[in-house]
Amino acid sequence: MSTIQLAKKIKYNIPSVDFKEHTLDNGLRVVMSKFGNIPVVALNTTFHTGSKDEENDKTGMAHLLEHLMFEGSPNVPRGQFDDILTRNGGESNAYTTRDSTSYFISVPSNHIETAMWLDSDRICGFGITEESLEIQKDVVLEEKLFYVDNSPYGSLEEVSSKKLFGGSSYGWSVIGNMEDLRRLKINDLKHFFEKHYTPSNAVISVVGDIDYDKTLRLLDKYYGNIGSGTEFTKSNFAHSEIRNEIRENIYDNVHLEGKFIFYKLPEDGTKDYYAMNILNSILSDGESSRFFNEIEYKSGLVNEIDSSIFGMECLSIFNITAIAMKGKSMDEIESKIDEIIEDVKSGNISDREFSKARNRFETYFSSKRQSVISIADKFSYLKMFYNDCSKINFEILDYMSLTKSDLIETANKYLNKNQRLVLNYLPK
Amino acid sequence: MAISELKNSNSKSGILDRSKPPRSGKPKDINFPKFFETKTANGITVLVIQDKRLPIVTSRFVFKSGSYLDHFMGKNKSGLGSMTSEILTKGTESRNASEIAEEIDFLGAGLTSGCNYDATFVSSYSLKKYFDEVFDILTDVILNPSFEEEELIRIADQRLNSLLSMIDDGDYLADRIFNRYVYSKSPYSNPLEGESKSIKNIVTKDLRKFYKKVFSPENLIVAFVGDISPEEALLKLENNFSGWKNSFSHSEEIIFPEFSKTPRVYLTDKKGAVQSSLKIGHLGIERSNPDFIKVSVMNTMLGGYFTSRINKNLREVNGYTYGARSVFNCYRYSGDFSVTTEVKTDITSETNREILKEINEMKNKHVGREELQNVKNYISGNFPMQLETPNDIASKAISLKLHGLEDDYYNTYIRKVNEITKEDVKEIAEKYLHTDRLIFSISGKSEDLKNEMQQFGEVEVTEDLF
Repeated sequence: MSTIQLAKKIKYNIPSVDFKEHTLDNGLRVVMSKFGNIPVVALNTTFHTGSKDEENDKTGMAHLLEHLMFEGSPNVPRGQFDDILTRNGGESNAYTTRDSTSYFISVPSNHIETAMWLDSDRICGFGITEESLEIQKDVVLEEKLFYVDNSPYGSLEEVSSKKLFGGSSYGWSVIGNMEDLRRLKINDLKHFFEKHYTPSNAVISVVGDIDYDKTLRLLDKYYGNIGSGTEFTKSNFAHSEIRNEIRENIYDNVHLEGKFIFYKLPEDGTKDYYAMNILNSILSDGESSRFFNEIEYKSGLVNEIDSSIFGMECLSIFNITAIAMKGKSMDEIESKIDEIIEDVKSGNISDREFSKARNRFETYFSSKRQSVISIADKFSYLKMFYNDCSKINFEILDYMSLTKSDLIETANKYLNKNQRLVLNYLPK
Repeated sequence: MAISELKNSNSKSGILDRSKPPRSGKPKDINFPKFFETKTANGITVLVIQDKRLPIVTSRFVFKSGSYLDHFMGKNKSGLGSMTSEILTKGTESRNASEIAEEIDFLGAGLTSGCNYDATFVSSYSLKKYFDEVFDILTDVILNPSFEEEELIRIADQRLNSLLSMIDDGDYLADRIFNRYVYSKSPYSNPLEGESKSIKNIVTKDLRKFYKKVFSPENLIVAFVGDISPEEALLKLENNFSGWKNSFSHSEEIIFPEFSKTPRVYLTDKKGAVQSSLKIGHLGIERSNPDFIKVSVMNTMLGGYFTSRINKNLREVNGYTYGARSVFNCYRYSGDFSVTTEVKTDITSETNREILKEINEMKNKHVGREELQNVKNYISGNFPMQLETPNDIASKAISLKLHGLEDDYYNTYIRKVNEITKEDVKEIAEKYLHTDRLIFSISGKSEDLKNEMQQFGEVEVTEDLF
């Protein structure tokens, strides 16, 4: 840590999180953090494999495999994973993104070994039956019906992925195409598992009521003898820029019209990415933010307005969501949004507005680190995508070192009409 | 630790036998953390949960009445409590809505208000260094709200649109209709967000009336959480609230709902539905019911967690759904039991039958010793996770006060869970589960479901929704 960093850290008065890192002989990277005051441990095992690692006719495989990883492994029969874990007072879940798949477990600290035994056994070998595969395909199909087909504006991820990233491996949704999913055979999953679920493609984070030496010994005992697998090179990510604005109307079972605007941004961890996050706070964080105050509160044009940044490994997305009040004009909403964006691009950000955003980040970074599950998740993410766990304590500096002109410059680079996608959801 | 040491330890243990689960260590004791509690001269109950690890202070003002009162404030006033709480932060005698938002946002703070059936709350959080300013705004919002007409018009307009958006959601429809019929004539049958005819019927005079009835020191619990000592907290309250006098308040009237005498099916049409959203159940218990812990254990086994009977059956064995759960939802004077899930339209009947089967099984057979032990272990092991942050602890401390539970409730909780026998579980299931009084609230393709659903009870299609 440099002296400047130290000085800044003291200025922000954020308590630091302690951690230790290690790499096992088979290449598995581990992060351990003694944290909190309840007798609980969280384990997070993350693989550097997501939907972008699928072939374009086998979409949905990474997420289906995530479901199947709870369905049996060489020494844990089908149906036993959650039974054993819950009878030991633990809980477990998982999620899949375009870039990675994360499995997390929380368990009373006296059962840490049981959690590691369960978690490591499913990485050791493939133990999934045809029956599990077919049932989990049905479960995923219901998941898709619930979140996508039966949900208002539910097709947003699928449509926007295709329009923004078509032709690249970000071009489909994580849950995938259900026809692809139906066709998947047990061997497809086995190959995918054997290729991707290897120690060198994974990070495990253990956070909570732990002893560092003992935990490292246990990690080595349960994960250390997992075969390294075959090295593979990740396919390069290539995508084409949007040069002319893409617009599309989608007819859905909705009562209120919705406008969704997407701009592409650089990947998570870049200076422009951080700058856009601060700008995003000015635009939509809190009731005094530009979008809320001007478009919802003062003009009464929308029932809901928000914007967010979705950071990813190869690219990120800046998304504006506006749900119109009944009878209000979608064109008027779009021109209000554009007015605000153009205003910001022209340099019109007050000092007070900029300080406000910084104050909000300071509170955010001071208050967010409270749960062992979320800290374990954060460590796995930092280790995998930055190879820098110290960011858990210093990420705030990536934001606080930026100036107002950085924000304006970034806005001018990325928030241009010809580089965006506009989707209008209209009642059927 | 050095790597050589690691290798040593590995070679000593030889090849790992993965076929058996490892043995676990001794569980650590967990006690509910101690917190400071007192009462001010004007009757405010004060709780302080001090925790200096983060430089954050949260203050939570909880008034012991909520939208249950809507029912007693005139005809067609549902939504009144929640609109009153929403308008608080939208103007005081000295600050307008934009000024409040700007001050709070600038300090990187948060100020929220809202209500449920049993309580109305206003909360703030901020860095400790801005707590004085934030607490003054919070005080202003609680003591001097201005209930501006134009703010009410804006809130009502937003709400009417939100309702339009909510009825696009199958789960909301099933939930809304379930409550309407399960709680029949009791105030819990009214949606706390309101409905179109009541929202249009609420005027600023109603807001003031609700405010007067609810916002009073004797009706108030304040919890200070985080980097603040009891002395600091009491001084803040003394400075800002000691002059606040109790307004005349009378006790709440109670209307107890009645069970449906026969099973009934209520269908609500959702345009273009590809799934049925199911909410099936009947009346349950109030939060202070002495059987509460036994009921929780029984329900956890039935449908309260991932490995429960209902989720295993519907998801892991049959692949009918992404998830299914059962819950006992407990309010101050009453409560309900329900099973919720979403399935394809053409397996709605099968799903109903499986749910009925699981409820009957729970009532008719003793649970296995191992299954009961598993649930007890799950509940005991999971309990510390509910005490992870100071705000988690505060929520539990507030609920003790709100529902009049014994002071040692959370310290004896794990012991009480572990004392439950299989006979207790059967007795509780027989007492609180009633397959002959179920309300099946289903949102989806009503036309396709109408005839088929008659096997479960008299069918009614709801038309006059909002």
